[in-house]
Amino acid sequence: MRRIHLLFASLALTVLMSGVADAQGWGSIKGRFIYDGKPPAPQPIAVTKDQQFCGDKKLVDESLVVDAKGGLKNVIVYIYVGPGDTAPQVHPDLAKQAPVTFDNKNCRFDPRVATVQTGQTLILSNSDPIAHNTKVDAFNQPINPLLPPGAKLPQKFTAPERLPARASCSIHPWMTGWIVVKEHPYMAVTDENGEFEIKNIPEGNWTFQFWHEKAGYLDTVSMNGKSVEWKRGRVELNIKDKAALNLGEVKVPAAAF
Amino acid sequence: MDSRVVLFLLLSTGFFLSGCDSPEADFRLDRVYIQKTLGEPENGEEVQALTTQLQNLKDVMVGLFGTPDDPHVPQLADVEVGEVLDPQLIRMAAGPVGRHEDGTPRGLYREHCAHCHGVSGDGAGPTAAFLNPYPRDYRMAKFKFKSTPLGVKPTHDDLRRILIDGIPGTAMPSFRLLADDEIDALAHYVKYLAIRGEVERRLVNLLTELDEGEPVLDPLVRREAADVFQEQLGMVRETVGMVVGQWENASAQVTEVPTPPEDWMSEESIRHGRDLFFGTVANCVKCHGQLALGDGETGDYDDWTKEIDDKNPALQAKEYLALGVQEPRILNPRPIQPRNLRAGIYRGGRRPVDLFLRVKNGIEGTPMPAAPATGLTSEDIWSIIAYVRSLPHEPMSKPEGHGIEYGRERL
Repeated sequence: MRRIHLLFASLALTVLMSGVADAQGWGSIKGRFIYDGKPPAPQPIAVTKDQQFCGDKKLVDESLVVDAKGGLKNVIVYIYVGPGDTAPQVHPDLAKQAPVTFDNKNCRFDPRVATVQTGQTLILSNSDPIAHNTKVDAFNQPINPLLPPGAKLPQKFTAPERLPARASCSIHPWMTGWIVVKEHPYMAVTDENGEFEIKNIPEGNWTFQFWHEKAGYLDTVSMNGKSVEWKRGRVELNIKDKAALNLGEVKVPAAAF
Repeated sequence: MDSRVVLFLLLSTGFFLSGCDSPEADFRLDRVYIQKTLGEPENGEEVQALTTQLQNLKDVMVGLFGTPDDPHVPQLADVEVGEVLDPQLIRMAAGPVGRHEDGTPRGLYREHCAHCHGVSGDGAGPTAAFLNPYPRDYRMAKFKFKSTPLGVKPTHDDLRRILIDGIPGTAMPSFRLLADDEIDALAHYVKYLAIRGEVERRLVNLLTELDEGEPVLDPLVRREAADVFQEQLGMVRETVGMVVGQWENASAQVTEVPTPPEDWMSEESIRHGRDLFFGTVANCVKCHGQLALGDGETGDYDDWTKEIDDKNPALQAKEYLALGVQEPRILNPRPIQPRNLRAGIYRGGRRPVDLFLRVKNGIEGTPMPAAPATGLTSEDIWSIIAYVRSLPHEPMSKPEGHGIEYGRERL
């Protein structure tokens, strides 16, 4: 009896392992998004609530953040899994995903964009001395918990979301953030310099999708001076073993925003 | 098992529709969601591709759910709808108003509901524009007043209760005088419209993943490429199964309401509730206001209005109208008002258990959040309710110049 159990256990383990990693190569992708135009000046936000605390935080509209060199922040990049397609295999290093924190800090969401895999823990937290609520308009699993000061609320999403889900605080109407939920860990958000990198992608052809909250899907961009059409922000790219695919500078025309 | 869908598709692609004098009642596609999700086609080719896809979508929807005059529940392999949707009761609610020879009614939905909620359940019937709040649009499958947490569908009994009690403070009347099976029939029909609406939305989502002009389910490939057809059918089956499954699981997720402590309406409890009302844990004051008149945060919109646009629905509504998206009619967006807690009117019901559920679970589709998981006990929630119920009544309006002359002396 015991032997049978062991047999099943090892079988189950093999199946499980094969889902995690196969004998194959892994590569990565990186690039830098550039706002093609004169960077807009940050617009101050009119603080209408909790002025004693939020009033002096110098809040600005962060829906479009561009640095001095044109680097475009908060472009969301992920591997697109179409209907009927299988999700990319998960590299052993990525099998265990640490919780991601989505904090209410200084009357804004920090980070503005959080990415989580289905089943991964997202900690909705509030570092402010005032109360917030975080309303996430996810298509499959909408949530709207109230977060008292110091709250740390673990949250899991069971189904992937087609689009980044808008997060807002009903008490402080200027607060906007985004939660990206996918069934795999291959997603990234561009940093202050407009740079992103996704590592440990299984080799082969993958469709990548690019989205920005103001521009929507990035469907018209220019690379190496040439205009490129990415239908619905999608482009198929080949990832090679032990190689980093560098998209270089991807320019997004100012008209897209 | 899938034969009905397939049969309909085959028929609809032919030239089956013969002439008919009066137009048949029709479920309208959700043009706003389609526009929002798929965007505006940029050239003639794209217009053509989208038109083809939408015609196919409409055919698939008819294949799955039938028409307002001849509704049926989805008949798909591996999708059990029996628990959720009762075909017989749905037929009793559907169709033109009338009675069968044996006296049983038909057309209950059109008799009692459609003038406000619309034939398609889009909340945009002929009288909708004159009401405040607007009638519910069922197609998002979100319901405010229910016994289940946010994100979980309401139970059959939740819908029955709204039908029986009505919604105080709104145009939704009580249908207590209807026979019990008629209430059941209407509740099933609302579920039918909500499930139908959500399936349509999910199939529109699916269109964004398909190639340009590629249909959801193409009957023409059925013979030539059976595997492609099976794959498409699998997609539809998965979508319908998922939506129906959510309704099936609702009754297992009902929030348990603990019995209130004996002294929950004591002065001490009310004082505690008041502290919580103004404190940073429950924080009711931010939206409902210092005097609980619902005059705190007032610039937000509900999810049905945000469907038009998240940030500026009024502006976007104008743009939609300019684009000719008039079906369904777009109702002039109104900001959502936090409830005035001193009018003595509670839309989801005034029983303590109703108020507990509103505070504990929040209100779906609105900015009202769920109580924090930690830091606010059930006793605390009961105290908040006690405080709210203790507030002095504030009449909605005080007509000036009329005093006691209109009052009636108590005999």
